[in-house]
Amino acid sequence: MNAIEALGQYLVLVQSNPGLFRDDPPLLARLRQEALGRLPGEIESYRADKTIPAECRPDTMYAPDYGINLQHLEMTADVASAFRCGVPNLNCYLAVVVGDVVHFTDSMLKAPEGLEVYSLRNVPEKYLDMAAYIGRRGDSLNALLLSDGIYIRVAEGYEIDKPIQIVNIFNGSTPMLTPRRVIVDARPMSAVKVLLCDHSQSPDTPHLASQVVNVNAAEGAHVEIYDIEEAAPATRRRWQLIAEQASNSELTVSSAYLHGGVSANEYIIDVNGDGCTTNLSGLAICTGQQVVSNKVTLRHHGQHCTSRQLFKNAVFDQAHGAFGGRVIVEEEACHTDAAQTNRNILASPDARMDASPQLEIYCDEVKASHGATTGQLDERALFYMQSRGIPRDEARRMLTQAFMTDVIDNIGYEVLRQRLHVLVEKRLNGDAASCSTCATACHSNTTEQ
Amino acid sequence: MAEELLKVRNLHAGIDGKEILRGVDLTIRPGEVHAIMGPNGSGKSTLSGVLAGDPRYTVTSGSAIFHGVDLLALSPEDRSHEGLFLSFQYPVEIPGVTMVNFMRAAVNAKRKYLGEEPMSAADFLKMMRQKRAVVELDNKLASRSVNEGFSGGEKKRNEIFQMAVLEPRLSILDETDSGLDIDALRIVAGGVNKLRTDKNATIVITHYQRLLDYIKPDVVHILYKGRIVHTGGPELALELEERGYDWIKQEADQL
Amino acid sequence: MNQTPQPPCEADVLSQATSGEYKYGFTSDIDTDIIPAGLSEDVIRLISKKKGEPEWLLDFRLQAYRYWLTLEPPTWAHLKIPAIDYQAISYYAAPKDSERPKSLDEVDPALIDTFNRLGIPLEEQKQLSGMAVDAVMDSVSVRTTHRERLAEMGIIFCSFSEAVREYPDLVRKYLGKVVSYRDNFYAALNSAVFSDGSFVYIPKGVRCPMELSTYFRINASGTGQFERTLIVADDDAYVSYLEGCTAPMRDENQLHAAIVEIIVEDRAEVKYSTVQNWYAGDAEGRGGVYNFVTKRGLCRGDYSKLSWTQVETGSAITWKYPSCILAGEGAVGEFYSVAVTNKMQQADTGTKMIHIGSNTRSTIVSKGISAGHSQNSYRGLVKVAPQAEGVRNYTQCDSLLLSPTCGAHTFPVIEVANSSAVVEHEATTSKISEDQIFYCNQRGIPTEEAVGLIVNGYAKEVMNKLPMEFAVEAQKLLEITLEGSVG
Repeated sequence: MNAIEALGQYLVLVQSNPGLFRDDPPLLARLRQEALGRLPGEIESYRADKTIPAECRPDTMYAPDYGINLQHLEMTADVASAFRCGVPNLNCYLAVVVGDVVHFTDSMLKAPEGLEVYSLRNVPEKYLDMAAYIGRRGDSLNALLLSDGIYIRVAEGYEIDKPIQIVNIFNGSTPMLTPRRVIVDARPMSAVKVLLCDHSQSPDTPHLASQVVNVNAAEGAHVEIYDIEEAAPATRRRWQLIAEQASNSELTVSSAYLHGGVSANEYIIDVNGDGCTTNLSGLAICTGQQVVSNKVTLRHHGQHCTSRQLFKNAVFDQAHGAFGGRVIVEEEACHTDAAQTNRNILASPDARMDASPQLEIYCDEVKASHGATTGQLDERALFYMQSRGIPRDEARRMLTQAFMTDVIDNIGYEVLRQRLHVLVEKRLNGDAASCSTCATACHSNTTEQ
Repeated sequence: MAEELLKVRNLHAGIDGKEILRGVDLTIRPGEVHAIMGPNGSGKSTLSGVLAGDPRYTVTSGSAIFHGVDLLALSPEDRSHEGLFLSFQYPVEIPGVTMVNFMRAAVNAKRKYLGEEPMSAADFLKMMRQKRAVVELDNKLASRSVNEGFSGGEKKRNEIFQMAVLEPRLSILDETDSGLDIDALRIVAGGVNKLRTDKNATIVITHYQRLLDYIKPDVVHILYKGRIVHTGGPELALELEERGYDWIKQEADQL
Repeated sequence: MNQTPQPPCEADVLSQATSGEYKYGFTSDIDTDIIPAGLSEDVIRLISKKKGEPEWLLDFRLQAYRYWLTLEPPTWAHLKIPAIDYQAISYYAAPKDSERPKSLDEVDPALIDTFNRLGIPLEEQKQLSGMAVDAVMDSVSVRTTHRERLAEMGIIFCSFSEAVREYPDLVRKYLGKVVSYRDNFYAALNSAVFSDGSFVYIPKGVRCPMELSTYFRINASGTGQFERTLIVADDDAYVSYLEGCTAPMRDENQLHAAIVEIIVEDRAEVKYSTVQNWYAGDAEGRGGVYNFVTKRGLCRGDYSKLSWTQVETGSAITWKYPSCILAGEGAVGEFYSVAVTNKMQQADTGTKMIHIGSNTRSTIVSKGISAGHSQNSYRGLVKVAPQAEGVRNYTQCDSLLLSPTCGAHTFPVIEVANSSAVVEHEATTSKISEDQIFYCNQRGIPTEEAVGLIVNGYAKEVMNKLPMEFAVEAQKLLEITLEGSVG
């Protein structure tokens, strides 16, 4: 069966089984219905996309025969151990998504005034239209097969004190496809931080995680989305962040790829309003046979907006890294200041890196730049460190870590920043996924509240 | 006479297939300060690079025995662990690596090499504070990236600070005076002098006599066309200052 | 009522500039032999017969034509290309009097006049030993100068048709080896219908003592131009080759689909410079040349070098990516480009540097300047093959915007499959500096002149790579194209 047919089978499955999703909650039914219409065209478009590695193309990713949890059955997972995620000491509002089933913890139930968090199955009537609107975009297969997800609403003028952490866990003995969806609606002048962590407790079981994060940053809202992937080599991840920014909003998205198999990440940002700030960054440490692709489409419509992108890859062994960045400055987007930087280190002879930093400028009142470099660690620095007695391998690790420093320092959230420095160091030291070795159990902190 | 700390015999080395050192002989004993002078392009920096194991240079023949150890067989880091220190003419900037992480990695690698336990964080920071005083570096240093954004003088002081921390048997100061104003020169030289003992030794590589006013050499060598063509006492440096290098060149070229 | 004279506002300056005359937009009244419009195997046989070609070349054409029939025009470029009716084009137009003139005296005076008006005084060129010129009018090479002197050194510089007759083995050996007819839609079309072009062979160890030059001109109406250039530099040879192009102003679009193939052997060096000034169409986008060109060099030899320099000011649509395949050890590829677009022009141009050999190096410097309602794109590929050790690439592509309605785009692709490579890409896009213009104004330099100055300064890095003879012309062209077009 070729890849396109493999995708088509999901379409056929849904179309020919009208009762497939029994008791379909209204929001999911709407998203599903819209997806049905979009899907055939979308599948066609996959074929044409040659800008990302073949392993990261949706048709390749969806092609294997995965099981789907259509009946929304709860899967077993050691929730307690999942709580020991890579970011401990984090005082947060926590949700754990096991497979595609959402569990809210006590901390979340005690959410403060201004913050509302719902399962997509239980979004109140009054928010349905907005949730469906924000969630209208993104991978159609995700919407088509969705059985749960999280809706976050931050009321106008509220700044949420602590981050909302969503821990995604896969646990299972059969290959599974888990569609996940997070919809964030940050109302005017609100502020919210969301941290997403991906884990796998069944490292040897093939697992395709399809996650779409839809963000609406209303006027003057500040939204920060952090994403840490610490999954397993058998994990395939298709991750999309789709954000729309209204005037004077600020959006920060930062991702760290530490462990996984194939990770295809896409960032689609529409800067619709004036005076917006957009900060995108990502780091990836790729070893073994890993394939990591980050693809950005940032479209400036508003005036006087600033966007910054910083993506760094360190590629080892036979790994393959890819960066595709597209910045579009539309005719009306005067006084845009857009900068994009992509830096890569090829650390092993068989490692491979592709970069495609693109600028499309339709307006003359603009400052736009991009830079992409692919190279090696600085030999002079290595010798200098060796001459001070630091063994070459350690010097290489230190330099690789230093190489990632500015991406991590970009993170505006102190606790996470410190934690990521440690995680990256551990990763470069070849330590196992740190969630299993981490001494501090996250839930012991969260229960303190 | 004390035992030999460094014995270099008939050392030949070059870069990209071009021979620069053409048979260097040099013997250094504990407690001694040797100055190596010579005109530009004579091979001074090559000699220091070769001894420290700079991968850019290739040794074609000869030997260098460092307190009984075959220096040329060692990796750069093991040469450091054995007690060789090179103060770089152009210290390398390493963005993103803080001085404190850099030095802790260096100190603990050496301790591991010597079979010792890593130093505790408290002891390490205390030592850093003490050693900083040697070259009057301020305490902001620890959080800054290695040499990044340092002025010329700060970079050289930072080199001597690292020397103080690593307590080498033999220090090679490669053109440490270049680019220094008189105050920085005094601080750097003062640092070197404070670190002198009868157990360690120093090689001062310089083009000018100026530095030797502050760091008094016991022996002065003149390197020319990849060989040591003249060896004498401190008076040789003064003679060079007066007469320039031409007479050395003539003498050597006649041979 | 008192009226104080107003200084011209920016819009006036812009309209003055965009109404700037295309100085090469004349037609020459020359008796032309045109075959009827349309494309079929019979037409190809006719072209081949008119040119008295051997059987193998006709076969090559027919193969290419049959392959072309299976293709669709490429759509990946950032261009809006109107549908082209390939049956409405005449694929062969030659100035009559097809007997090759033996000396300039025998050349049709109107033709000489044409080239003189183009700034290519053949007469002078013959006297002054500045360069050797091959002039291609519509589809046929009309005049090649300095051949005797070059022949003494073993250098072959002649029209493509002549090369087919005189040096069939050489042509057959190299034709289609760098740009196969299977390469792309326009390459296939060219391979089927090409009418003439230039052929250069520099033998082992010979440094060509003068610039070799070809001027292309489309004169006849309703015709396309499909020329081929083939340059072979044998071991240790050197040649600098210049190409210039113009076309008359016509309301309909004219198609130019050329192929340039270059082979560079051990330690040889080829420098290929282009000043492209095809008619760009009028302010409303009527007329103008579609310039769909495939240019590629194979640096087959160790330590060979190929350097492309282009100044692109003309054409309604440009689709062109002069590329280097760096196969030999230590081969060097360079691409220096200035692309200026104004009015409704569209350009999608850049290069490919394919690093196959070890220690190969490439440099890309691209300067895009957009004005009016034009769209200007840089598209590039830097590819490092797994076996290529020690590769270096540096790419810099800058875009300058002169009006609020134009577009400047950058589409680079970097693929590195060898960890010893160092590949750097830097790009900036900005508006022409108002501070600089004001500074010039304050010193008494009018805005349109200031823009010329600033743009020439901006493009200088590339202009400096042009041979002297071309640099002056190119600089003038930049000024003409952009005079005062600040929005």
